[in-house]
Amino acid sequence: MISLLPLITSADPAVRDQSLDASCRVASVAELLAACDELDGFRRKAENLYERVRALFFLSAIHRFHLPEKLRSGGPSDRSAALIPFRGYEQLLHRRFEEAIDTFLALQAGQGPSDGLASALANAYHRLAFQTLADQVRRSVRSVRGNQWMFRMGHPADQPLRIRPELLRRGADGAYPILRELTPVRMDLTHSAWSDIFFLGMDFPEGAKVVNVSVDLGVHGRDARPRPPVSAWLRVLDEPVLRLTSVDLGATADITALGEVFDFAKDHLGLLKAAVIASGIVPPGIEGSGQSLADLLAHIVGPGRGLEIVSCVNDIPKGSRLAVSTNLLGSLISVCMRATGQTTGSADKGDVTGPLSEADRRIVLARALLGEWLGGSGGGWQDSGGVWPGIKLITGVPASESDPEWGISRGCLMPSHHVFSADEIPESARQALQDSLVVVHGGMAQNVGPILEMVTEKYLLRSEAEWIGRKDALTVLDEVISALRRGDIRALAAATTRNFRRPIQTIIPWASTFYTEQLIAKAGAAFGDDFWGFWMLGGMSGGGMGFIFAPHRKVEAQARMQEIMSATKRELQHALPFAMEPVVFDYAINEHGTWADLLAGDDALMPPGYYALTVPALVRQDRRELPLARRAELDTFGAAARTRPELRGLVQTLFDVLLPRGRSESAGGVPLADLLDQNGFDRAQHEQIREDLREGRIGLAQNRLRADAIIEDVRPEDVSFEDGAREAGEAALRAGEVAVITLAAGAGSRWTQGAGVCKALHPFAKFSGRHRTFIEAHLAKSRRTSRASGTPLPHVFTTSYATHGPTERFLAAVDNYGYQGPLHLSPGKNVGLRMVPTARDLRFAWEEMPQQRLDEQQQKVRESLRAALIGWATSAGEASDYTDNVPLQSMHPVGHWYEVPNLFRNGVLARLLTERPQLRWLLLHNIDTLGADVDPALLGQHIRSGAALTFEVITRRLEDRGGGLARVNGRPRLVEGLAMPREEDEFRLSYYNSMTTWIDLDRLLSAFGLTREDIVAGDAVKITAAIRGLAAKMPTYVTLKEVKKRWGHGQEDIFPVTQFEKLWGDLTALPEIESRFVVVPRLRGQQLKDQAQLDGWLRDGSAAYVESLCEWE
Amino acid sequence: MNLKKAVITAAGKNQRTLPLQSLVDTDGVTKTALAIIIEEALAAGVEEVGIVIQPGDQTAYAAAAGPHAARITFVEQAEPLGYGHAVACARNFTAGAPFLLLVGDHLYVNSEARGCARQLVELAASTSCSVSAVQATHESKLPYYGAVGCKRVPGQTGLYEVTEVLEKPTPTEAEQRLVVPGLRAGHYLCFFGMHVLTSTVMDLLAGSVEAAGGKGVHLSDALAKLAKKERYLATELKGRRYDIGAKYGLLTAQLALALAGDDRDEVLGGLVELLAQRTR
Repeated sequence: MISLLPLITSADPAVRDQSLDASCRVASVAELLAACDELDGFRRKAENLYERVRALFFLSAIHRFHLPEKLRSGGPSDRSAALIPFRGYEQLLHRRFEEAIDTFLALQAGQGPSDGLASALANAYHRLAFQTLADQVRRSVRSVRGNQWMFRMGHPADQPLRIRPELLRRGADGAYPILRELTPVRMDLTHSAWSDIFFLGMDFPEGAKVVNVSVDLGVHGRDARPRPPVSAWLRVLDEPVLRLTSVDLGATADITALGEVFDFAKDHLGLLKAAVIASGIVPPGIEGSGQSLADLLAHIVGPGRGLEIVSCVNDIPKGSRLAVSTNLLGSLISVCMRATGQTTGSADKGDVTGPLSEADRRIVLARALLGEWLGGSGGGWQDSGGVWPGIKLITGVPASESDPEWGISRGCLMPSHHVFSADEIPESARQALQDSLVVVHGGMAQNVGPILEMVTEKYLLRSEAEWIGRKDALTVLDEVISALRRGDIRALAAATTRNFRRPIQTIIPWASTFYTEQLIAKAGAAFGDDFWGFWMLGGMSGGGMGFIFAPHRKVEAQARMQEIMSATKRELQHALPFAMEPVVFDYAINEHGTWADLLAGDDALMPPGYYALTVPALVRQDRRELPLARRAELDTFGAAARTRPELRGLVQTLFDVLLPRGRSESAGGVPLADLLDQNGFDRAQHEQIREDLREGRIGLAQNRLRADAIIEDVRPEDVSFEDGAREAGEAALRAGEVAVITLAAGAGSRWTQGAGVCKALHPFAKFSGRHRTFIEAHLAKSRRTSRASGTPLPHVFTTSYATHGPTERFLAAVDNYGYQGPLHLSPGKNVGLRMVPTARDLRFAWEEMPQQRLDEQQQKVRESLRAALIGWATSAGEASDYTDNVPLQSMHPVGHWYEVPNLFRNGVLARLLTERPQLRWLLLHNIDTLGADVDPALLGQHIRSGAALTFEVITRRLEDRGGGLARVNGRPRLVEGLAMPREEDEFRLSYYNSMTTWIDLDRLLSAFGLTREDIVAGDAVKITAAIRGLAAKMPTYVTLKEVKKRWGHGQEDIFPVTQFEKLWGDLTALPEIESRFVVVPRLRGQQLKDQAQLDGWLRDGSAAYVESLCEWE
Repeated sequence: MNLKKAVITAAGKNQRTLPLQSLVDTDGVTKTALAIIIEEALAAGVEEVGIVIQPGDQTAYAAAAGPHAARITFVEQAEPLGYGHAVACARNFTAGAPFLLLVGDHLYVNSEARGCARQLVELAASTSCSVSAVQATHESKLPYYGAVGCKRVPGQTGLYEVTEVLEKPTPTEAEQRLVVPGLRAGHYLCFFGMHVLTSTVMDLLAGSVEAAGGKGVHLSDALAKLAKKERYLATELKGRRYDIGAKYGLLTAQLALALAGDDRDEVLGGLVELLAQRTR
């Protein structure tokens, strides 16, 4: 019997900081289950938040990593094992985690543990743990003094804020003055292993430390000099509206209803709205009160008046890892607080302008945290650093008796800031830093959310290597501070490099990318000893990064890094998700922090971009209808545009906006229509689908099998297990009768959230010390098989319009990774054109299908976004062609059913048959099924069975959604998730389809009515007719996919689009094709769909399993 | 502390005619608001009253004071430079003595036998320090008042030791600096318009007036400094105040006086009749 409680409750850090993994490694299944019982009992009673949360993470980790491994080693998959109950799954969807856990545990007590149940429990515990933590952060944000009153206020008459009198003083021309806030962004010098995550700072305040610098920024080669990159502008209006404008996102709106202020995702003004709310102008407590916004504004600004708030970030691209958006939020909140007298230099007591006091900065921070929560995002606690001046040490604060956190968490929500004085870090050191450091944006934009979750989990589990890494990171911080004090930038560079190489990557291997490694290597090659080091700026590398050089070469390095990044991006742009062209920044340390001034008279002008956005609409109106202040502003602007040099370009911009140039449809030179033609687009079929969609004959609801279909789990005789026919397989391999087909036509929509890169080319993980692409991993397996059998194994990668060119060039560039067997690409011969979805399908997907409810505030944001997207679909025209994007994002592949027929049509199979007339067996698998290889035993079994197709299935885990192996009306077949008439049916199925298929070529051809002679002869008419004949028997599914649209400076919007597809597994429904099903181990059959899976995949032995199948050289 | 002097300010911009309004007092006699305020002070043991007025208002105020005119010293505030400045104008009048400070547009109705001013003066006499009357006020009214942050004086109900004074704080500031345990959520102790102050306040105000160099001066700033210099208490009195300058303020004050006085039945009867006759 092992007890894990001391790891949580012991007062002795040596015991408490022991790793869970070490304690579990030696335990048996029974011991683990007993330990889980004890932990579960403990967490239900535990009063201390962090003890409870740690117990939850322990439980989650045991069920995710330790139990499955022990169950696996206990023997082959037991098909009598408990399945995941649908009721528990539903409870998970509705975030009723406690109930879900009880449901799963009750079943486990009755039927014993299973791999599936363990996965469900792991998920439930994991999410309950994060929910508990997030709830606590939220409670703390609300209970910060200075934030509480805003949650009590529910009526305009209760609004205690009043506009500062100086903002009501009109100029001689009738215009109101403008309050402008200029805010730097923050650079994180130490990273400290993500110790700025709230969950860490609130449990381990002693370890939460960062050094962060406020900087002004400019894009090198574009801007004349670095400026505070973030600005917020506010003035009074003569109309009772809230006018919000984001200059960078080109969005402006006049808000007249209170409800709209809380509608975050309706437009691109969510951040401004969050600031208006978090600053107390429209306090959170008034949401849903049904009161009038005009009344509320009347209390603050006066009857009939309103407020205009404008944000601007000087075109600094998104994903810079400089916390631009959090600092913009801080800037907006600060300007709103100053305007309503909430800063201490206020209310007749001082000036509304200038810097903020420390007390004011802290309240801006508290409000920014509130704003982040409202907007459903969540920056780290150091991110408002730009509000503070210069270089500062930000540290976690242990909770004391007077804090609301006392007794709940060890640390406070809000950190404390120590701004280093000139005595501590001399001016010369600051200059030296600026003389050596080149700050860049590499162009990649990635979601760091999963990384932050991984870090939290690993911290709470005290995983051995990671815990050492964390302690190591703290010593790096000391080194950085010491180097800064001495002005020794070379030592600083050594420290930040070590930080990146050691602690950061020990904790999260995924923090580095192949791209980053390339940049570091190339910088080293170009500058030798004058390249002093690398500096990771934020959650993950690839976006904002720092490169440190000897000062005498900095100017040269800026130019060179731009070249290196651009060239490397060009090489990798199809493999990694780049959001924009890389840029080099100019920057300067900002010693003021956020700063406000009051612009009056001729200076009372908004930022230039504001006018590019608003003037065209204004000049179209009758001048006499404009309010007095607007007319005065236009006059001032007109005069300024003629005389001020900084507004020189604006006249041209305005001209362009008023008389737009004709928009060219093409991108990369090839127009969409040509691309469609080249890729086998079938316009007649497209129009038919459009009409069917519009008429409601097809759609998401119509994908389903008839409601009276009887869906049952398969019987024992319907599946087989590996049965030792290895010799037959080995013989076939030796004889050269086998080839591998890897499906690589997809753009990995889940992998990169619709970024449209080739998943196959993504260097997703390190094996044998290097980042390897999916293609390389698959070839390495075939290399091993070839060597074992002594016959080179032909390997085919299927491609599509989106992936063919890049894959071909990539393989040429890496010389096929030295693969010696035949290697072919099979280009796709079918393509579809995406359509704007119908509102009916969107509603079906979002309202009728079981949905994962999000956290309360995020759910609100999501609902607002979905309402906006339904509005978009209706206004853009339901089922109209989706062409408002680059051509490659407007087209879609039409499903993997076509991949094998494509081989018949595009000559690849003919070539294979010519090279290897004896070819008879094909292994078909997905690009993300990394464990699939030509296993001789499974091959032999397929050969012996005499079936046309053998499908590999695996036991089901919670994440394996989307159909499975079922008896449909008494006949075993694979059923797609889309076709399941009832959601709960899927949960009665023991096996999930891995998509890996063994094919008897002759039998398959005969199902098409073809022979291998037809293929070799290349009779196009006959082959096409044969394919069309079988395709007609296959169901067509309508699906919604998310596609990214990129715009502006690294901005991305995600749209749902409709496309259709035919799926390979449906072949099992055809009686003329004999299909069999074999149960394979999970490690062989599981798929890697989402980058968030990577860490677990590495930890649970999957990566090691894949590595064992590979030979890299 | 032997308190003999009171200062009433009546020089505010919108305030100058308010003390001249006539009302029926609790004793059923028609008087000016000024006379009612003066009587409140006299009932507390005050012997001399200084009234701070705008230049030219003396005749009207002398008439409004009625029988008490003899006890009055008029002090003129030449320029409207804020409440603090108005009080500072009476420095010669108070001449180093502690004084009761009232405003000309507030009337008080006590809910115990002693008048509000008397309650305050007796407390100041027993504690020998400055005392301000305060009342728990909802945060939405913060833009109208000065507010105090304090600690409770142990063992005494409604008595506080002042630590901070802020003029018209925002709720954000109030929540961070002025929360007093035991009050309802969102309520703060705001000034009641009645103080007993030591001569130190006059000294502080004189300093502020000089430092301001012609700009406005708040009493709250001086009181904030007072709290740092000497013991300064705040108390919740048994009674209510009525601001006759607010919308319907005069009417409300009149009703409050009438319902608390000899004519209660008559006024109530009149109100009931009014309500009964209302058709819409």
